[in-house]
Order: sequence, then C-alpha cells, then structure tokens
Amino acid sequence: MVHTYECLGRHFLLDVESGSVFIVDELTAKLIEKRSPSACAKGDFSKYSETEINEANAEIDELIRQGVLFSTQPEHPEPIYKGIVKALCLNIAHGCNLRCRYCFAEDGQYHGKLDYMSVETAKKAIDFLIARSGSRRRLEVDFFGGEPLLNMEAVKETIDYARKVEKTAGKEFRFTITTNAVALTDDLIEYFNREMYNVVLSIDGRKEVHDAVRPDAGGKGSFDKCLANALKLVKARGGKSYYVRGTFTANNLDFAKDILALNDYGFGQVSLEPVVLPDSSPLALKNEHVDGLKQQYELLAKEYVKRRADGKEFGFFHFNIDIYNGPCASKRLVGCNAGDEYLCVAPNGNIYPCHRFDGMDEYVIGNVNDGSWCDDLPQKFATTNLTKKEDCNECWAKYYCSGGCAANSIQLCGGITKPYKLGCELMKKRVECALAIAAIEGENK
Amino acid sequence: MKHIKVVATNTICKEKGTGCGECQTGCQSACKTSCTVGNQSCEQKKTNRSTKVRQD
Repeated sequence: MVHTYECLGRHFLLDVESGSVFIVDELTAKLIEKRSPSACAKGDFSKYSETEINEANAEIDELIRQGVLFSTQPEHPEPIYKGIVKALCLNIAHGCNLRCRYCFAEDGQYHGKLDYMSVETAKKAIDFLIARSGSRRRLEVDFFGGEPLLNMEAVKETIDYARKVEKTAGKEFRFTITTNAVALTDDLIEYFNREMYNVVLSIDGRKEVHDAVRPDAGGKGSFDKCLANALKLVKARGGKSYYVRGTFTANNLDFAKDILALNDYGFGQVSLEPVVLPDSSPLALKNEHVDGLKQQYELLAKEYVKRRADGKEFGFFHFNIDIYNGPCASKRLVGCNAGDEYLCVAPNGNIYPCHRFDGMDEYVIGNVNDGSWCDDLPQKFATTNLTKKEDCNECWAKYYCSGGCAANSIQLCGGITKPYKLGCELMKKRVECALAIAAIEGENK
Repeated sequence: MKHIKVVATNTICKEKGTGCGECQTGCQSACKTSCTVGNQSCEQKKTNRSTKVRQD
C-alpha cells in the first residue's frame, strides 16, 4: 500500500509497509496513483513528454525493485497476552481546583465523590507494578487526577518509596506528573524539576480561549496564574522534558492560533488535543468541523517549519515523528498498551484499563489493596491489537496511530475494534503534516 | 533520481530482536486522548536495537 498527498505545496509519497518516505514531483505522484490497486481514474498526463513519463516510471520501478515501494504486508504474529504491566497512571486525587467545561472526569471526581489516594494505597500500587513487570526494567508512573497537586504528600511519599525499592527490584522508575499549574509553588517547581522525568502542564492557548473553558471553582478564569507558574517551571527545567498541553473544542476551531500562542509565550514543547465529547455537548467537535480543522493543521505546519528554520524552539507533540529512529513494528501494533502493559489505579485502589475508564464499574480489573485481579479485560485489550481493528488494516496511517485510542472506541463507537472516525481523520492529517515536515527538514540539513 | 527524492527507507524496523517493550507507553507523555505511537522513541535506537532480545 502507498499513500500520496500534497502538503506545504509539495507532493509526498509514503510506502506504508516499509515506512519509506519520498518527496516526488507532480508527475510521479500521478503515476503512483495510477498504479495503485484502488485507482479508478487514469489521470491526465497530456502536459508531460513521453521521455519524462518514461524517466519517472523507471525511477518508480527501481524503488519497487529495491523493495521500498509497493512493499507487501508482512504476516504479523497473533497478539499474545503476557500479563506484564510496565506503566501506571495513578489517579492520586479525585478532585480538582478547576471546573473545566469539557472534563471527561467530571470536575476530576470521575463520576464519584471527592477522594484522595492514601499513601498506603499508592505504595501498594508501586508494589503491584514491580510484581507484575516481569523483565521490564523501566517502569513509568504518571501522577494524574483530578489535580495531583491537591495530594502532594502522597506523590512525594510514593516517589520516596519507589526510589527506595527500585534498586533491589532491578527496576528504574520514571515519574511524570500532569498538572493545571494553579497550585505550583517555588518549592514544588524545584521538586518537579528534580524528580519528574516529564511534566505536563495544562494550558489551552490564548487567554480568552483558556478562561472560557477552564474557570476555577468560583467561575474565574485561571489563565494568568497557570501561565505565570508554568513559565516559571519551564524556565527552571534545565532542558528536561516537558509539555504544555491543552485541549481545543468547538469554541476555538481556529486552534492553530492557540498552539502558536503557547509557543509565543515561551513554551518550546507543546501539544493541543482535540476534545472528545459526545455530539450532544456544545463543545463537541463534529464531522462538519473536520475540513476546517485539517486546514488548521496545515496552517500550523507552515508556520512550524518557518519558526524552526529561523532557529526557534518549537516542538508540537503530533508533528514530532522521527522517521529515522521511530518505534519498531511490534510497538506500532500495540499502540498505547492501555489495559495491558499500561493501567490506571484509582484512589480506592481499583485498577482500570486506563485513566479514561476510572469510575466505570464494568471496567474494574482488580484492586491493589486486596490483591484482586482478573485476567479477562487485560487479555481482551492485549489481544485486540492493530490487526484486529475494523478498517485499520486498510488505512495508510495504521503504523503511526496503531489503531487509535481504545477508550474513544469503546465510549463513543460501541466497541474496542471500532475506530473513532473523527479522530482518525484528524490523526491522518497530523501524520501527513508530520511526515512532510520531517522530509522537508531532512532535505534542508 | 530526477523525479523522486528519497527521504528515508525502511523506517519501520521489523528485525528479529525488536519488541523489547522498554519504550514509553503511548499515553504517558503528553496526549492522554490521542494515541500517536509514531512519535514515540525507541529505547534501543542509540545502542543496539537489532541485538537486544526480548526476555519474556
């Protein structure tokens, strides 16, 4: 399978199975499309000479001979459930000091009541992770919520405990934290920059956009405080990994401006995610928005290339595809590993496939406090890899999204094998832009 | 080549010995809502990706 497309005024060609990327001229793009099994139009070649057409065809034939164009799909092994866990999302606080209008966790409380994870439960989660991690050496723990800063005592004691036991266990913990930055202090900034492998700071972009959807409990916008605190943390971060991460909704369909605004504020590493809400929500992204949203990614890509060429630090999470040293094929089949190697623990110790399932009784896998565990759900998630998802096998972007988010599929589309189509469309556009950017920047080096 | 510029070939490594599982989980970094695996890094890339063998 191949995919040809235009982006940033150029033509690109992706050989899906090998991952080979080419910049081609218009003639070659047309000839490739003509050779594609699904081609229905023969194309208009009247403006090209026979010599040009023969030259381009010869180049295509040579790449086919080399096995990097129209390469065949290998036989992927059947997915096997191994019962290994390597990453936990610790929902350390079911509660939040903001009242974001799109929050999937319902003000951070996950369909339940205000609750904070005890130190005892958090330590049991660490023990659970070590015990289930098999030969995996690097283990990841993300402090999430709600707002994790509301339960910092548990965060600190968890890290102290994990650091104490990691050497004996032959493991290396990597901690991350996702915070709205409202309650950040100088002491916490120093602590995070020392202990956290990655920090994710939630800001939605322009002040008016952020304040409209991320008010505090009193209804007041949180932008000024979040920005000041986040900037302070990033300036002191010393080159360690971080992301300023926001959400865009139907309120800001011109979201490229928000990503650029985040960069203008002084954040070099940013991400802005499309909100996932049912159509009934006034903030939901809908099918009629898709074309405009794709244009936004294209606009962003254009400015992104320009800023980076000018030497500005600017990384956008979804444009950051390393076409030379990316993940192996095995990783691309399993995606985020939710429900299998990646799980979530709620304040009461319940274990869920990921943070998006917290509070859903039918998705409880076990509990770290009483040691209960049932293989049924992890087995289902582990064995439903990319090859088992509807339509994904025929999609050119399959090795970049790996079948998409299981929570979106289950919660919005009625099953783990059913792709969330709106998300697919945005993902494909982001991958097109990312590959184009990588190709252009590679060309300029 | 005159019509085609090769940017990268065989970028999806299918070598024996890959799939060690040491790389970051897709959702732990920044997205939490959009599963993008293509932008994850291989932990073996700097060393010996083709020689490390999965243990389990």
